[in-house]
Amino acid sequence: MKLKDGFVLRTVAGETVVLPTGGVTDFDMMITLNETGRFLWERLEKDTQKDELVKALLAEYDVTEELAARSVDTFIARLKELDFLA
Amino acid sequence: MERDYLIAGLRIRMDTDGRTKKQSAPYQTETAAEADIVITSHPEELQKRQPHLSLDDCEYLSTGSSFYCQLLKFDGMMIHASAVVMDGYAYLFSAPCGTGKSTHTALWRKVFGAQVVMLNDDKPALRLENGRWYAYGTPWSGKTDQNTNIRAPLGGICVLTRGTVNEIAPYNGVRAAFSLLEQTVRPNVPEARGRLLELLDDLLAKVPVWKMRCTYAAEAARVSHQAMTQEAKRRFE
Repeated sequence: MKLKDGFVLRTVAGETVVLPTGGVTDFDMMITLNETGRFLWERLEKDTQKDELVKALLAEYDVTEELAARSVDTFIARLKELDFLA
Repeated sequence: MERDYLIAGLRIRMDTDGRTKKQSAPYQTETAAEADIVITSHPEELQKRQPHLSLDDCEYLSTGSSFYCQLLKFDGMMIHASAVVMDGYAYLFSAPCGTGKSTHTALWRKVFGAQVVMLNDDKPALRLENGRWYAYGTPWSGKTDQNTNIRAPLGGICVLTRGTVNEIAPYNGVRAAFSLLEQTVRPNVPEARGRLLELLDDLLAKVPVWKMRCTYAAEAARVSHQAMTQEAKRRFE
């Protein structure tokens, strides 16, 4: 599981902003990510798996495994909905 | 015939006719060995997609677009705005087409007279030079030919919306970034878009950005003038 190529991610005015380029999406979108979103996004720039993402969240944040798994599920579902995954 | 121009502090090389050549004339300079930006335009291709435009208009639009896309490589960006200079600072009024950017700067000229110089009525160039933001006039100024070949430190940018009262307030954060992103060229390549976001981040940290609801009355000019000039002086002097 991996993001498509062609996104740019930068910090703008203290927030994480993502812009798609090339033919990534049909729309000229502007996206913001919260801290957890950025954490997962940056891991999804390389090929990874759901359980690896959950493990990474658990290592970084003081959360239960259940909550970490739910966060990963929600995030991935949203990326699929937007057709952002390769 | 290719000619050299000094635009936004950069040496620009292009071969143009008609309106583009005429509006570029005040920026022409003697030819040198190497240009910073070579403009290649394809007006015929643009006209295929926009058949209602004349070939002359297509050249004007495509040379402008080529210039503003390449400007990103020189710490510069375009903001779709009507820009004036007054008391040594440039002030930009940005908004989607039809909101009344030009109407608002025309009010500034009506209220404050000859102190107000029209920098560029539609597409001023901004550049980050030695850590400071400057606004430049360019030959590409939209429907009108109102542009002046000068540079001024950028005093503020105001995003306009139409209203029934005149209200201005600081505009910060990612919302302001997105408003400005909507009013610039976003080349469809990752490096350029990344650079654009980095420049915007720097711009928002240094330059006062405002959001204003405004009417068509002269009071609108007084309200934006008071807030913007006061803050420019406070921040930069």
